[in-house]
Amino acid sequence: MHEMTGGADPVLRVSGLRKTYGVVRAVDDVSFTLDKGRSLGVVGESGSGKTTTARIIVGLEHADTGQVAVAGRDRTESRRHGRAERLRRAREVQMVFQDPFLSLDPRIPVGTALRETLRLHFPRRDGAARVAELLDQVGLGERAAAALPRELSGGQRQRVAIARALAVEPAVLVLDEAVAALDVSVQAQILNLLADIREQTGIGYLFITHDLGVVRCVTDDVVVMWRGAIVERGPTERVLAAPEHPYTRLLLDSVPRPGWDPGRVAADRRALASTAAPSPSSPDHRKS
Amino acid sequence: MSAATHVLEIDGLTLRLPRTARPVLDGVDLTVGASEIVALVGESGSGKSMTLRTALGLLPRQAAVGGSVRVAGEDVLTMTPARLRDLRAGTASMIFQDPRAAINPLRRLGDFLTESARINGGAGGERAVVRARHLLAAVGLTDRVLSQYPHELSGGMLQRIMIASALMNDPGLLLCDEPTTALDVTTQAEIVALLADLRNTFGTGMLFVTHDLGLAAAISDRVFVMYAGRIVEHGPAGSLFGAPRHPYTAALLDSTPRLEAPSERLAAIPGQPPDLRAPLSGCPFAARCAYAIERCRAERPEPENGVACHRAGELVLATVREGDRPRA
Repeated sequence: MHEMTGGADPVLRVSGLRKTYGVVRAVDDVSFTLDKGRSLGVVGESGSGKTTTARIIVGLEHADTGQVAVAGRDRTESRRHGRAERLRRAREVQMVFQDPFLSLDPRIPVGTALRETLRLHFPRRDGAARVAELLDQVGLGERAAAALPRELSGGQRQRVAIARALAVEPAVLVLDEAVAALDVSVQAQILNLLADIREQTGIGYLFITHDLGVVRCVTDDVVVMWRGAIVERGPTERVLAAPEHPYTRLLLDSVPRPGWDPGRVAADRRALASTAAPSPSSPDHRKS
Repeated sequence: MSAATHVLEIDGLTLRLPRTARPVLDGVDLTVGASEIVALVGESGSGKSMTLRTALGLLPRQAAVGGSVRVAGEDVLTMTPARLRDLRAGTASMIFQDPRAAINPLRRLGDFLTESARINGGAGGERAVVRARHLLAAVGLTDRVLSQYPHELSGGMLQRIMIASALMNDPGLLLCDEPTTALDVTTQAEIVALLADLRNTFGTGMLFVTHDLGLAAAISDRVFVMYAGRIVEHGPAGSLFGAPRHPYTAALLDSTPRLEAPSERLAAIPGQPPDLRAPLSGCPFAARCAYAIERCRAERPEPENGVACHRAGELVLATVREGDRPRA
């Protein structure tokens, strides 16, 4: 079975997204679904369209055509920019970026930043208790509340970014290369933390990454993007163990390991680059 | 191996900076032979890039340095500025992580490639251009790029230009500081294949700094593992990753997400690397080590047979890949 198990009411449904910049088709008819509490990986190299797709889902870009629905509710249709509408959309999907240092205000202590987010979205709730709870949830002590971003390590800053995203209780968390800048020992801590949070809250993850080891570790399903289009999709275990599209195979062969032959990978890459533009995969298309 | 065949020989290198409680580099010993690829791995702040830079005499201001760094037999730390300039122009060269940051965006790539030869070589531009064409072919680019500007090329192509430029004066030692970290994995494979080819063609010795253990295992002959400014373990790539002897090496391998491992919790290393502002006593890894005993916290382990661990003789460190390592 190749089609991703689309549940009755997926928490996130993306259908027919297209986005062009001039003559470049950055996103070319991208469709997928994410069920509640599942984790979907989006892999591909730079320029494959994975980050543009993520930015459209979050609302940082507009698609030329296509739909993004969270819990059955269309996000792309409404172009209203009212404050209440904007806040409501923000509570559906949150995003964690690669570099937490750029997404945190350097002059604002961590606790204050979290409380500000909470006050904006939940003006009537007790902020202080929730800040303590959020910090605890991401494995930071209460002492971290008084710290400025520069006083924290890279891993701790990424924990803060995750806490702030979780503060609004989103249904979907989009993680765009969120562990790529971390050292492996800290990266493992954050990946374990994300697994725990998903288990506790039933939040859905859209995990954008170029690291297939990370995909193997934290996702249930995966879509592979190449030149703006999805060329392969399926359960992560199946796609990594028995890739069907030549580009997926190239990605897998590119991962360094003992006995690795980078020369062959380079030759395969040139061969693939010279082929015509890909047609979006049909699930039943099997190369033997 | 005798000293004569080493293109780089670092001996007891110590480097202190003001307002730090411990040395940034603390007794580093490391060698690179001709035609050898040596990987230096470790986490951010472990001192691996700093070690690499000392080989070109690139030291932070106010650094207090001890020990010796010999490139082709000559100590870099005691060189005159003129001699250092010759070293950087000829004997040793460096490839940085981000080629876009290292190449002048306003100059044509032909100028960039031949600049150093025109300034230092004396032989003049003609020969430099011939050499540049030859090297461009070696890195898989055409002469066309000579008249192009950096913005016209992709990151992978620019990194090839960096490599060509590093080889212009036929260096015996190539220093690579995370040369593929900013590139896509498929591009990384091309660059690594290229470096391996160049090693075979030109006999260049390479010191390759990376935090990617898989990459280090795949490309290098020998590996040095660095933690808190010290070499904690070194050895041939195969045996070091197949049967690590230092708990830090084993823990690093265990915390790396793998393609072939089952998708379950990773064995993360608790805590963080030691801060430069705090003094260190005993083994720098003791606070995070599952095997630490009282002696580890009190007494600094000296390297012995390639590993600096008090318990190296008694521990049997299987990695998760073998599946029988107890989880913390």
